[in-house]
Amino acid sequence: MRTRRAGAAADRDSVAAWQLALGAALLIGWEILGRNGGARWVSEPSQIAVKLWSWLGGSLYVHLYATVTELVTGFLIGTSLGILAGMLLGRSPVLATILRPVIVGLYSVPLVSLAPLFIMFFGLGLMPKIVLVAIVTFFLLFFNTFAGAQRIDEDLVQSLELMGAGRWEIFRKLVAPATAVWIVGGIKIALPYALVATVTGELLATRAGLGYLLSQAAEQFDMTSLYAVLLILMVIGLLLSEAATRIERRVLAWRHAAE
Amino acid sequence: MDQMTLAPARGAERAVSEAKIRLHGAGKTFAVRGTEVEALTPVDLEIGREEFVALVGPSGCGKSTILNLVAGLLQPSAGSVLYDGAPVSGANRRVGYLTQKDTLLPWRSTADNIRIALELKCRATPRREAADRVAQMIELVGLKGFEHHFPAELSGGMRKRAALARTLIYEPETLLMDEPFGALDAQLKLLMLDQLQRLTQHRRMTVMFVTHDLGEAITLADRIVVVSARPGRVRAIHEVQLERPRDVFKIRFTEDFAQQHERLWDELKDDIIKGTEV
Repeated sequence: MRTRRAGAAADRDSVAAWQLALGAALLIGWEILGRNGGARWVSEPSQIAVKLWSWLGGSLYVHLYATVTELVTGFLIGTSLGILAGMLLGRSPVLATILRPVIVGLYSVPLVSLAPLFIMFFGLGLMPKIVLVAIVTFFLLFFNTFAGAQRIDEDLVQSLELMGAGRWEIFRKLVAPATAVWIVGGIKIALPYALVATVTGELLATRAGLGYLLSQAAEQFDMTSLYAVLLILMVIGLLLSEAATRIERRVLAWRHAAE
Repeated sequence: MDQMTLAPARGAERAVSEAKIRLHGAGKTFAVRGTEVEALTPVDLEIGREEFVALVGPSGCGKSTILNLVAGLLQPSAGSVLYDGAPVSGANRRVGYLTQKDTLLPWRSTADNIRIALELKCRATPRREAADRVAQMIELVGLKGFEHHFPAELSGGMRKRAALARTLIYEPETLLMDEPFGALDAQLKLLMLDQLQRLTQHRRMTVMFVTHDLGEAITLADRIVVVSARPGRVRAIHEVQLERPRDVFKIRFTEDFAQQHERLWDELKDDIIKGTEV
């Protein structure tokens, strides 16, 4: 047992070493490419690092703040509304028959194409992006929660009813936890989409945000800034997916126990 | 729970008690792909207050249908089902129903599953008391050491016992059980039968108990209802003339038990042979 665990640890160490080596090779290759005339298209990692360093000195925070605020606010609104609607329709066949076609119809519109509309409605501030993110998240959470709430085993519902559980108690003790698996799944899918929606909104028209930085850099052919922003977005994306994994591990401890 | 020394002699009391459950020409047909299938031909059956009744018969004979009707999970297509003199409509909350199917909640540990009834408003129980009763139940069904396991980490027999504990903990006045001990090994089954006898007598429960096992039925029941092969109908009702309380470990070796068993087998064998031919 012990040797096997030690063996696994050694394996993990060597994997990490290989990954580091690969990353370093990529960076060095990139740097060489840039220094030998490619800088116009690919910039150079060293310059990107300098750029990031100077941004971290002050000017980045306005944009980071705008993007994160839009992302988080929109995501929270969309998630809560999506879960609520999914549960309501999932547990009420009548409501579902009436409203589900409407929701599916709305979802058939490519959501990002709504961005210009929201900009006209809400101006250039944070609001249009918050609305866009909220709508994207809403749909993904709605469809997942709806599927989960519909698939609840009626035998479990009956067993609680016989014990004397009321509607609310059945909801709290059965529907909510049973749907949690689906909700967490929805959150995992929705997080990257929310980031896409935020940046897309910012690319179209705005006065702050990482998307704004991105479009500024592109207009000025400033490849270094462009790659710097992409790197920041990549880090945000990684942090989001790590957050989703942690939520999953917490909420679904019982599933991992079963495996 | 204090010790169960006060168990009343059940037979004496049954004579004066009126019917707790009454099936009056109650039958059930299902529509399966457009054709009507009769699951239960109309039956008349009376279960007295605090009576222990076993239902035996070949598989698929409608025993479970009878329990579902009493629990209110099915509505009869013919006749009526009365509980305490009133027709059963919707989930009958005065029964505890141990179904064949596993209905433990997969995200709750054994202890949390067993406690769930005590969390409900209609049986609100102080936290400390609930914890004590859960611990006693876990002891009773022999799941000590598995309190914090999730259902998926338990064996089939353990899940069955957890489900039994979950039903017994709130001491429903009527207990419906659908082959509760089928998955248990012989040794454990006897222990559970013993506990079940004590508990139901002490808490003065009315019990309807579906089983394949004639020995189990004779050991526990006041009366045994023999249900015939599909479509189900009541073929005979046997009184079990054995003194209470019964020693579940030894009664199997007595002369009386053997006689009861033989009579019951004669009644059932045609149906069982018919059932296995299909």
